This record gives sequence, structure tokens and C-alpha cells, in this order.
Amino acid sequence: MTALARRRLADATKYVVAAAVATVAGALVIALMGGNVLSAYRSFLWSSLGTAGGFAQTLNKMCPLLLGGLAVGMARRAGYFNIGVDGQIYAGAIAATGAALALERATTPALAVLVVAVGVIGGGLFAAIPGALRAWWSVNEIFVTVMLNFVAAFLTEYLTTGPWNDVMAGEAITRLIPDAATLPMLSVRAGSHVGIFIALAMAGVVWLLIERTRWGFEVRALGDNARAARVAGIPTARITFAVLIASGALAGLAGAIEVTALHHRLILGLTPGYGVMAILIAVLGQSQPAGILVVSFAMAVLLVGSDSLQRSIGLPASAALVFQALIVLSVLFVDARRAVRPS
Amino acid sequence: MSAPARLRMEAIDKRFGATIALDHAELELGAGELHALLGENGAGKTTLMNVLSGLYRADGGRVWIDGRPVDIHEPRDAIRHRIGMVHQHFELIGALSALENVIVGDEGGGLQLRRDRQARAVAELARRFGFELDLRARVASLSMADRQKVEIVKAIYRGVDVLILDEPTTVLTPGEADVLLGTLRTMAAQGLSVVFISHKIAEVLGHSDRVTVMRAGRTVATVRTSATGERELVEMMIGERLVRTAAPPPRAADDTALLRVEDVNVAGRGAAASVDGARFSVGRGEVVGLAGVDGNGQRELVEAIVGLRRTTAGRIEVGGRDVTSAAVGERLARGLTYIPEDRMGDGVMPSLSVAENLVVGLHRFVMHGGFAYRPAAIRARAVAPIADYKIPADAATPVGVLSGGNIQKVLVARALAIAGHGPTKLVVAHNPTRGLDVRTTEFVSGCLVGVTRAGGGVLLVSSDLDELMQLSHRLLVIFRGRIVADIRAGEFDAYRIGRLMTGGSI
Repeated sequence: MTALARRRLADATKYVVAAAVATVAGALVIALMGGNVLSAYRSFLWSSLGTAGGFAQTLNKMCPLLLGGLAVGMARRAGYFNIGVDGQIYAGAIAATGAALALERATTPALAVLVVAVGVIGGGLFAAIPGALRAWWSVNEIFVTVMLNFVAAFLTEYLTTGPWNDVMAGEAITRLIPDAATLPMLSVRAGSHVGIFIALAMAGVVWLLIERTRWGFEVRALGDNARAARVAGIPTARITFAVLIASGALAGLAGAIEVTALHHRLILGLTPGYGVMAILIAVLGQSQPAGILVVSFAMAVLLVGSDSLQRSIGLPASAALVFQALIVLSVLFVDARRAVRPS
Repeated sequence: MSAPARLRMEAIDKRFGATIALDHAELELGAGELHALLGENGAGKTTLMNVLSGLYRADGGRVWIDGRPVDIHEPRDAIRHRIGMVHQHFELIGALSALENVIVGDEGGGLQLRRDRQARAVAELARRFGFELDLRARVASLSMADRQKVEIVKAIYRGVDVLILDEPTTVLTPGEADVLLGTLRTMAAQGLSVVFISHKIAEVLGHSDRVTVMRAGRTVATVRTSATGERELVEMMIGERLVRTAAPPPRAADDTALLRVEDVNVAGRGAAASVDGARFSVGRGEVVGLAGVDGNGQRELVEAIVGLRRTTAGRIEVGGRDVTSAAVGERLARGLTYIPEDRMGDGVMPSLSVAENLVVGLHRFVMHGGFAYRPAAIRARAVAPIADYKIPADAATPVGVLSGGNIQKVLVARALAIAGHGPTKLVVAHNPTRGLDVRTTEFVSGCLVGVTRAGGGVLLVSSDLDELMQLSHRLLVIFRGRIVADIRAGEFDAYRIGRLMTGGSI
């Protein structure tokens, strides 16, 4: 077995161990709360994977998680932390909603494509701010992206309660966008939309960009050693700017899909912390599209499944967060154990 | 040396994980002896001495002092047995004075009286061994040579009678090195046993009583210095004969300048410029050396030439074209390449593969079109350089797991490939052989000389004066950002150059 294959196997082991630890610890939590562990887990899996409606929900959840994970992962490959995925999701959603509401009278089905494209541009432009600051003024992107999350959230609050507010609803939501601006459903009965296919396609696109283009090679070189990349003639500032824009564009796409395929309007609370989960997903998926894909699916199952536990055995809503934390801690623990023992 | 040995190390073993650092290593030291410990990098010299000074714990073997077995488990034990070591990287506190650094750990109470007595004792010690040293000066303001004196005084102040120095001359100019070795001789004459680690055969032959040669963790032999010679020592060090590289005669009457640096200034941190009015050229077929004590503007000048640092005045031309404000990539396209001093920091991308590290920098000229990164093609490109440069790794191995010498081979291979691609073959090499073993050093030197044979030029910046004199056709000396001399081969004089490096004239 080659060294590479051994490492892959060790990685796989790590996740199996993490899943096992989380399962056992989860069982303990459920038992402590007086629930029946077996029936709880059955309900957990049944609700997220066993029924058409549940599976549709899982796929719908996976879409923003996968795109967000790709956004964080892409920035990571260049050595940067995009903590602003939530803000960029809102930026994309705002741009898409704005375009859709401005073209309320259009009837062409191409409108949806245009609206989503505007959302992508919105996310990208929003990330261009930290991108430019990082690339040419060496301003730490972590701070800028975190602060811009607040900007985007407050802007959303203003728009959903102010100029775009649906006065009939009495909530912080905007008017519905026109039908022509919405993305089609996969299955109307189950409630799944096409977003998952777009997200899966983007995973492929990101992989191709990073692993098969000269630009991607420069991104990886930059992420591995920025000084050496400069010495090797790589225009590091330009690459930095472009990578952060691309990262924001992926998040913006997620926001546009949430608007055009799921809610059909902009709502406050459009992202219940997808950006933070995206960081976990990217870390667990080792910033590789394939890894991010698997982890975002598992995370979607976890979110939908624990949502049902809330209903069936009265598990508090925060239980999903506890499970997430358990999984992450287990992976980190196994990693740390391996680091301690010299190979 | 028939008297019983002052100190004996017997069958010392030391492993780090799977690596065997010491394998039954031996050392014997007489009283009043100046003993050289010679070997390539990685031969185990420093490890053996770290065992003696208690920094590492041996996995096997014994240490005898005056015929009695002793246990040395930690530095405190070594100090108790009056053994002291001066490391390659000094362990001084810059903000304190020389005196405070000597007595640190032995300050006692805060009484001024005691301090005065300590000051007198230290001054007396320094005088006894012929150190000229301003004890009140802050260490941060001292030269490397003076800092080293502080370290030595610190060791003898603690009453050592076995003094170990790890590569003590690498930070010194030739003149300073002679002074130091003379001082060590004085110490030995007063009864101390002195060990100095070295990989420079000339200083070993010139100054020691006996030499112990190490190779691959083993002691090859201990010989009287007067009974051996350069060739024998080299063979013991590397286990085979070695052919030294030398600069070929410069090309006749070809004054085409590949690199022209005209009155270049580079801003420094303070008011003074770090490079001030540098003016020189590198011709076709020429190796131009740049000598200087580290920190005199070499790095800034080199980085300005390769495009990593902005100039504040002047003009840089490569192959007749002005590149003063061109990006690094444009300079690479002209064939101007760089072997950086800091291999890990400026050279390689450690988790990228050997193949990727060989192609980066060249990639803009070989990857064209849409999905231009083809892994199979990248790996195939690496096959020839891996064989030519004898890099013991697969193309897909992450470069970070290689040894320093093999990483340097990757960087040299890459630089020469880029140079070969541009219209001008010009290599700027900064300390290209620092820390490499004798064989890899010769290999890298051979590569640089090969560039000049192929009609290229080399700017060789090095802190190793021997290397500069061996390879250069012309030698520039830089002092405080100014180029103070331009000397032709044949007129090289180590002592004169050493004086120029430290600000002396002629």
C-alpha cells in the first residue's frame, strides 16, 4: 500500500470513529433525557432518509450547506478564512430578490436564470470588499468578513421590514417574487427543488477549477506558502482577490437559490447560521469538494433528523448543535491522538 | 597523550523515532587538548555534544570523567561535571548588558557590592583569556563575534573545564575566526579541554591537536592533526573521493551584461537605506560573488533584483531590458531566476508534490489552454529532473518530507529550468549551499558553474567566503548597504576581504 493510500484509509477511519463516538454519546444524551434510544434513532433516520418528504427536506438543506462548504473550502485552499458566508448568502438573496421585484412584470422563464445570476454577482461583490482589502492592503479577511455579516443581516432586516415588506404578512418578509423568477421543483409532492443539482454541479466545477486549471494550481501554491508563491512569479494579490470573490459568489448562489427555489421571497432568518456550519463542513471535508459533499449531506441528515426528534421525543432544538459539536470534537480528538503517536 | 583521558564517551547510541542519530559513537578528550569534531551535516556531531551537555539523553553508552563513570541526564548534571557548551544559535538576552548575560542565574541578592565583585571577576576572566570586550554594552548592539565572546566568558565563568563550541566560526569573518581559534588555544594551554565542531577542514588542520571524524552517526576515527591531511579527512568524512568544483576561466572578451544594476537604492527600516547606490553588472559566462556579513543589505538587494522588493532609486536591466518595476513573473519570463536563502519560507510549497514544486514558476510557460493542469503530464515532466538531480523521492511525494539538501536540489532544478526557458540565463543564488553536506554542496556548485558554461550568468550571494573565492570570477563586497569593493579572481585575499566586510579599508 502506498503512503497516500494509507493516509486516505487513516482519514476514513477517523470519520467512522467520529460517527461512532457521536452515536454513542447521542444515545447517552437521549437516555439521560428519558427517551428510548432505539426508537429515537429509528425516528431520526426515518424522518430524514426514510420518507420522500423527509429526503426532499434533507436535499433542500444540503443545498446551502454544500455551497457554503464549497465557499469556505475554496478560500481555505488559497489560505484564507471566509467567515462571512452568512453575509454573502444574504447579499446574494438581497440581489436576487431586488432583481426579481424590479422585473415583476416579466414573464420569460429566463428571468429565473437572470435573477440567480444577479444573486451570484451580489455575493461575489460583497466578498470583493474583504478580497480587495486582503489582496492590496493586507487587512485580515477574518475580521472584515465577520463584520460584514452584521451589515448584511441588518440590511436584510431593513428591506424585509421596510421598502420590500409584505404588508399583508405582518412578518419580516418581503413580497413574493414573480413566478417567472422562481426555480422549478424536482418533486412538487415531496417538496424538493432543483437547487441540489445546481449545488452538486458546483462541487464538480470547483473541483475542476482547483485541481485541473493553471489558476487552481496557483491558488493551491498560494495557500501552501504565500511567500514562495510570490517568488515563483504568481500574482498573489490578483489570485487572492479572485478567490475571495469566487468564494462569495458560491455563497451568493446559495442565497439566490433559497429565495428563488425555497421561500420565493427574502426573509429575515434566511440563513440560520449556514455560514458557521459551512466552516465545520469545510474543515471536516478537508476543503476538498468530495469531502465537503459527503459531510454536507451528513450534516443535512443531522439537521432534519434532530428536528424530528424535537417533535417525537421532545429533544430540545439545540440538540442538533450538540450532535454537531460531538462529531467535530471526535474528529479533532482522533486527529490529536494521531499527532501524539509518531507514525 | 598517554595520560588518562580527562573525558571519554563510550558506545553512545541515540535514536529519534526511526532515525538513528548516533550509533556507538565515541570521543576521547585529554586535559589541555584542543580537539576538533569534524563531519558533514547530519553526521551526529552536534547530537553527540548535546548528549555530553545533558540536552539529550543517550539511549545507550557511558560517559567517563577522570576514569569514573558519570550520569548526565540534564544540563544541570553537565554543569556539575564542569562541562559547558556554546551553541550555534546564541542564547543571550539582547536587552541585557554583556556582564548581566554572563552572570545571569548567578545574580544573588540585589546588593551593588556583590555586583561590583562579580563585574571584577568577569573582567579578570576576560583579561586572562585575552577577550577584548565592553562588558557594559548591551548585547543587542554587539557584533556576532562579540556575542560569541560573551557566550564563552559565560561558560568559563561557571567554572567549566570542558568547553564545547558548535560550529563557532560560521558567524565570523576569517580574521575574527583566527582570533577565536587563537583564544581557544590559549584556553587549552591553561588546562581546559576544548572541543570545537566544524565542517571546515582548513581550520581543523590549522588549529586542533587531534581530530575525531564522524559519519552517519558513527565515529570513523580519531587522529593526531599533525599526522593527517586534507584528502584523508575528506575521505573519512564522506567515505569516498571528491572532486572539487572550481570556476571555469571566464569567457574571453564578451562583455555583454546579462544583469545591470545601476545606482539602485532600497529603503531600509530606519532613516538609512538598506541598499545604497549599488552598481554592478553580471556578464555572460560569469559568476559574480557578493560577500558580506549577514544583514548588510544582501537580502534587500537580491529581493530588489528578483522583484520581491521595491527600489527607491536606480535601474535594473536584464538582458538589456529595463525590469526595474516589472513583476516577478515578467522577470522569470526573461530568464531571471532566484534560489532563495530561506528554502522553506521562500522556496517550496511543502504540501505540494515534488513534481508540482519543480514546475511552479515555470508553469505559466508550460500550462496553456483550458484545463491546463494535467497531473500525468506534470508528473512526467518531473521524471528527468528527479533522475538528473538524484532526488530520492517519487514525483507525487510532498516536498516537505524531504531533507534540506534534497529540497535544495528541487529548488536548483526549478531555477535552472526557468533560466533555460527565458532569453537570458541568469541565476541569483543566495546562500545556495548553506547547511548542505559536502557532496550536495559540490553538486549545487557544479550546477551554478554549469549555468556559466551554457552562456548564462550567476550572481552568487554567500556568507561562506571560501565558497565565493572558489567559484567567483569577480567578487563584490557589501558593507552597510554599499558595495565597497570589486575584486577580480586571482586577487582574492581572504583577510583583505574580511576587513572590507567589517568596514575596514583595503
